Amino acid sequence: MVKSAIYLVLILSASPAFAQRVQGQLACKPTATDFIYECTIRLARGGQPLSGAALTVGADMPSMPMAHNVKPVKAKPGKAPGEYEAKLDLEMLGEWAVKLRLAGPVKDQLILHYDFDEKGAQPVIRSGRPLRK
Amino acid sequence: MDDYTVGVLTNIGLISFIALSAYLLILAGEMSFGQQGFFGVGAYVAGVATAMYGIPLPVAAAMAMGAGAAAAFLVGLPTLRLRGLYFAMATLAAAEMLRIVFELIHFQREIEGDPVGPDGTQGFRGIRWVFENGVEPEGYLAMVWGLLFGVMVLFLLVERSKLGTTLRMVGEDPELARMLGVHVERFKLGVVAAAGALAALGGALYAHHNTYIEPRNFDIMLGVHSLAYALIGGLGTAFGPLLGVLVDIGVLEGSRVFQGYRMIVFGGLVAILLVFRPRGLLDEKVVHWLKARFISS
Repeated sequence: MVKSAIYLVLILSASPAFAQRVQGQLACKPTATDFIYECTIRLARGGQPLSGAALTVGADMPSMPMAHNVKPVKAKPGKAPGEYEAKLDLEMLGEWAVKLRLAGPVKDQLILHYDFDEKGAQPVIRSGRPLRK
Repeated sequence: MDDYTVGVLTNIGLISFIALSAYLLILAGEMSFGQQGFFGVGAYVAGVATAMYGIPLPVAAAMAMGAGAAAAFLVGLPTLRLRGLYFAMATLAAAEMLRIVFELIHFQREIEGDPVGPDGTQGFRGIRWVFENGVEPEGYLAMVWGLLFGVMVLFLLVERSKLGTTLRMVGEDPELARMLGVHVERFKLGVVAAAGALAALGGALYAHHNTYIEPRNFDIMLGVHSLAYALIGGLGTAFGPLLGVLVDIGVLEGSRVFQGYRMIVFGGLVAILLVFRPRGLLDEKVVHWLKARFISS
């Protein structure tokens, strides 16, 4: 109990250590089933493809945060270095904030905004420019 | 627990803060459609504190609560002169003003070669305190529910105290409260500030759970839902809003029975409940019956 309390205090009071950020890109195509997309994710860190990450992919709707709990799926390694593949089962068409959660040696979370429609997914443009990854 | 369960439970915990803040105002006799604005204030203040200045999350959350209370106090000063629907509309307008302010804020610092901070409609990325401090999703879930437990204990203590009786009296009969010596306007202003602080705490935790926030996160949908959770769950106890969140996020969304039709089902549920149980599932009568049945015996 005391150990847990000390551990919690240490965690809560620790100051952040900034690390090199991971960048991500998404390419999705629709499947025969409505709202299900086959997605390829490309991860890079410091300009180099990031392979070997334990990647979980989820999604949330920015206009109604916390209310849509898309079941996160574990991504499989893709064909090229830094590539991963995952099948996303969304609830509806529209803008989704795709959450890429990295575990293992690199711990991080990326949020990628894409508009999902019948043709696939396009990066969201806001104020005349795509949202930064 | 799998990732999905942890995610759903964390979301239930996070959204409960804003539902409880709406509930607190309903107890004081006011309906606010604007609690999402203070949720947003908390998210931005805490995000700036941890991501841009390296302030630990507990301190940042306290700062967020202070900012949320101050913002709610400033909104309450002019709007509490209004009553009923007019107050509700004024709070909605205030929340929309706050959302537009978030769209106009461009305040960034370069950290490790990356610009970090609010960037208008482009949002605010890199709120990474949780990852930089090695807090696992289960650990964060425990933090959220631990804080929620603390808030619930506080609510239950207040509801059993003279303060709680005064709160319900002010909500149900302000004239009677005034005749008994309660300074109703000042009391309501305090409640508005407390509700703002509570919503802001939820916002601070949400920002660090999501690592990214944007003005659209804090639009009217969140405000309407928070109010609906309090009304569905019931106004008899602080467990009411939690029950409302559980019904929507836990049962309707979590089970995924209704898939894309959930919002229609949810809207219908709100309408039916407002007709047949206007004070929600756990209303005062049910709470009184439960207390008599289980606590007194």
